[in-house]
Amino acid sequence: MAALSLAASAGEALVLGLTTGPVCMASCGPVVLPWMLVQPRGMRPHSLQLCLFLAARLAGYMVFAAAAWLVGAAIPRAWSGRSWTFGLLDLLVAVALVVYAAGWPRRTAAEPSPQLVRIGETPRARPSGALALGFLTGINLCPPFLVAGVRAAQLAHLYAAVFFFVCFFAGTAVWFLPFLSLGFLKRTPALVTVARMVAVLLACWYGFSGAWLLIERTMHG
Amino acid sequence: MASHPSALARPAFRGIGRSILLTLPIALWSLLMFTPSFRQAGRDQHVGAAAVIVFMTGLFFLMMRTGETYRWRRIFFVALGFLFPVGFVAALIAERGTMSIPISRMVSGDTPFCFMVTPGLILPAAFTRSIIFPGSILPSADHPHNIAAMIGIWLAMTLVLGKAWCGYACFFGGIEEGFAAIAKRSRLHRFVTRFGGILRLIPWAILLCVVLLSAALFEPVYCMWLCPFKTVTEFPAVRNVETALQFGVFVTLFAGLVVVLPFLTKKRTQCGFFCPFGAFQSLFNKINLFEIRFDREKCVDCSLCQTSCPTVALSKESVHEGKTLLNCMKCGACVDACKKDAAVWHLKGTPVGVKPERARLLFLYGAWALATMFGGSILANSVATMVHWLPLK
Repeated sequence: MAALSLAASAGEALVLGLTTGPVCMASCGPVVLPWMLVQPRGMRPHSLQLCLFLAARLAGYMVFAAAAWLVGAAIPRAWSGRSWTFGLLDLLVAVALVVYAAGWPRRTAAEPSPQLVRIGETPRARPSGALALGFLTGINLCPPFLVAGVRAAQLAHLYAAVFFFVCFFAGTAVWFLPFLSLGFLKRTPALVTVARMVAVLLACWYGFSGAWLLIERTMHG
Repeated sequence: MASHPSALARPAFRGIGRSILLTLPIALWSLLMFTPSFRQAGRDQHVGAAAVIVFMTGLFFLMMRTGETYRWRRIFFVALGFLFPVGFVAALIAERGTMSIPISRMVSGDTPFCFMVTPGLILPAAFTRSIIFPGSILPSADHPHNIAAMIGIWLAMTLVLGKAWCGYACFFGGIEEGFAAIAKRSRLHRFVTRFGGILRLIPWAILLCVVLLSAALFEPVYCMWLCPFKTVTEFPAVRNVETALQFGVFVTLFAGLVVVLPFLTKKRTQCGFFCPFGAFQSLFNKINLFEIRFDREKCVDCSLCQTSCPTVALSKESVHEGKTLLNCMKCGACVDACKKDAAVWHLKGTPVGVKPERARLLFLYGAWALATMFGGSILANSVATMVHWLPLK
């Protein structure tokens, strides 16, 4: 009976993931796209980066599933620390985008120019970037994630909640496969520069969004 | 307005009779477009329509007579840029008493559609079959002015003319072109020359950001946060800190990119270094029929073409390759500026430099027909509004 219930729950989570996947893709697209575009051309580096991103995202999902189950269904809507948490998360995404996609800390003493965007240079693939961005987007709320969070919180056991999120993740992950096609794009200096500019602009957006949440929380309590 | 380098006294390019003959199709097109206005009762509409017929036909005649394009196009374009807000804002004030959009209007989908939002519509519409702009895709009883019709006209014209939309139809670009024309010379020439390569990539980055964020947030991010022209059209009603901030961004961008920088650089800085719709339009330059090419044998590397280009769509390398960059809007400034006739109009699929005037004519018929239909009706409306408000009766 328990196995049957688990299978039904898995099916429900998979369908939920598959049907709401486009929203997940749209939600994570601003982070994934510039990151993938600054990677070297080719399917292999892109597949590796996407796998790392998705693995970290899965870890984020499981952390959230455990939290949702422990705290209960109230977490997504009424939890008092929500604004603080998601404000800080947005700020962290902003920092990670600038650090990894625009490549700030990789400047060495041998490079005399302190430019934020070093024109056209394709950086070496760095696993930590995909992991950081994947995990941060994994624990950030998007509408389908909220639905899955509420459903996971209603399940009887912690492992069932985590399993629900794993299946939900599998459903949504299918929608991330089109990002692999970016590997075929020719890496011109202009494209890499544009991708880095996009990362910086999006970091500004996430930074503003996070700061705004924190300010609103401070002002209105 | 300062005169363009090409505005030197040149001998007449064509005889009067031949120029009139070549202008005839545009004169007929203008009459066709504005004859319905004469069926309306109001004197204001009659004046507006008559003025536009004379204006558009006259300018085309001068293009034919002098062989110059940019100079006459600019007169139309600046007029369009400065008169569009007059008619638009007057209509808003008459209808609702304010330039700001109340929330109720947004909810009911009564916001006039602007083509700028088109790139941001694509992903959400593809995935959810919904649009992120208040309005309806197809016509209905409540919304007779549907978005699909507007996008259809834009797409048809863009497929033929490419980025020429930005030089002959956009009702925003004329404002900055007007400010760019005021100063006699650029005060930031070195800056533009040095950083032009980077600056012209910014619209692509903004385009990508706007498309991604519009899909993620399901709202028209560019209209909500980045459009400088909200300052002279309509904007969300200021009712809290967030909307005040939005308004502040609009005004700052307008002052910087549309007034101050064009004046200092003599370039269309909003179009060349910011506008995501312009970047989107550039993609169609790959597949449309017309382009500007450079004859390397005639070119003497004087850089006049690069200096004259209002959107920094030329680089030394591109001229050496005999081409413009992707963001060329076919305004004709480089062709008019070139004293060696090295810059020529070109119809793709034909040999470069052979009968360039035929390519120019074919292009101008399409572009001016678009300008008359789209910009002309805006001008007619604005002139009618001014006549209505002026104490002439």
